[in-house]
Amino acid sequence: MYRRQVRRRRAVLTLLIVGSFALLTLTYGQGSNGLQRGVTAVFAPVSSVLDRALKPARDLINWVDETFDARGKNHKLEEELEVARKQAVGGKVALAENEELRQLLKLDKSGAIPSGYEPVTGRVIGLSPTVWFSDVMIDVGSSDGVKLHDPVVNGDGLVGQVTAMTGGVSKVTLISDHSSAVSVKVVPAGIQGIVKPTVGEPDTLVLNFLNSDKNVHKGQSVVTAGWRGEEIESRFPPNIPVGEVTKASLIMQEAQEKVNVRPYADLRNLGTVQVLTGGSRK
Amino acid sequence: MILTPKIVARLIVVGILGVLLQLTFFSQVELFHVSPDVLPALVVCLGLLGGTMTGAVSGFAIGFLLDCLLIQPLGGASLVLIAVGYAAGMFRERFEIHSRLVVPLLCALLTLAAELGFGAIEAMFGIDTDVSILVLRDILIQSAFAFFLGWGIYAGLRRLVRPALVDEATVRRTRRPTVLGA
Repeated sequence: MYRRQVRRRRAVLTLLIVGSFALLTLTYGQGSNGLQRGVTAVFAPVSSVLDRALKPARDLINWVDETFDARGKNHKLEEELEVARKQAVGGKVALAENEELRQLLKLDKSGAIPSGYEPVTGRVIGLSPTVWFSDVMIDVGSSDGVKLHDPVVNGDGLVGQVTAMTGGVSKVTLISDHSSAVSVKVVPAGIQGIVKPTVGEPDTLVLNFLNSDKNVHKGQSVVTAGWRGEEIESRFPPNIPVGEVTKASLIMQEAQEKVNVRPYADLRNLGTVQVLTGGSRK
Repeated sequence: MILTPKIVARLIVVGILGVLLQLTFFSQVELFHVSPDVLPALVVCLGLLGGTMTGAVSGFAIGFLLDCLLIQPLGGASLVLIAVGYAAGMFRERFEIHSRLVVPLLCALLTLAAELGFGAIEAMFGIDTDVSILVLRDILIQSAFAFFLGWGIYAGLRRLVRPALVDEATVRRTRRPTVLGA
């Protein structure tokens, strides 16, 4: 009797493991399949309702976290304030330069939406639970005009791109996901490169240069390059703000041809985002 | 655990609710810059209450639903959670749970293993970027969260499936009747 139980238990375990491997093999690299579309169609409205209902509780916990964080930063901020006071005069020049850059980039202050793209607003209804992926689920899908690889932005800058979708739900792979790579340029230097994330540090992106004849300086802005060839073009339109250079030592630039960039968008706390649909991508 | 249709229905509701709460609540809150992952702890508790079969099957089902809702390759999360559920069930079948610390400790340890497992699955398909050492810190903090959450999840689940628990039934049968006025 006991042996039969053990045999049955092992058989079920083997079946489950083989089933998992089979599913993994069959579905790896696919955007979404019929089963996933069906399941998300059933659960998306429930997720949306739960998301709205739990928002006050989420905000409360996040407020506690931010309060702890703020207490820790207080002393550091006081020291920084002292330095900032001394730099106030220089700041005025920087402000003028900033305004000039905004004119140069022709950015829409509210959302940085390039012309030819139709923004579709979506709300984040789910996040990946592990530290290894940086995906969010939003409540707009193909029925709202969203297509695969559409860029996603928020009021601060580039967030990511749509990598899978169903009728009413899309998966947005954030620029902090290990599979992400965005072609960018540093303004005003014009240096081009590719921004990639570091797994485990969503607030730090690494900009690897493609051409390094000029130096990058801390505080410079990084925007999407939006290159265009005869047959293909970048998935991201040009001049969407990506982030700011935070660490740009000469050693890093000359020896490793890279600098650190902090994304403008707060990728840990995304609420509402805009999918840029349409455009002229080939 | 004696699996009657009523108990199975309760377990299905718990699994679905667990996944939905993870995606809509726990993944979107942060303490010390880390979001708690309750699903490994939930599977551990199910394994501890129901044994290897319940643990493995619930791990598969919860992982499958998670992969479906996150529109990611099916089977990855299932594979990791099957191992977690089976390990917890095996512990229950081999050892007696004497201390109250056993359940939260197991939740923390197996959450740690699950997060490393998710990383291993990702590495199997290729990680093209640098991996920061901070990822280990995040995993350890998630394990600490699982320690505290595991306590509550186990207590709640135990209450929910109490009629089906063999140990509880034995205790009820062997308890001496109270004689009023004695």
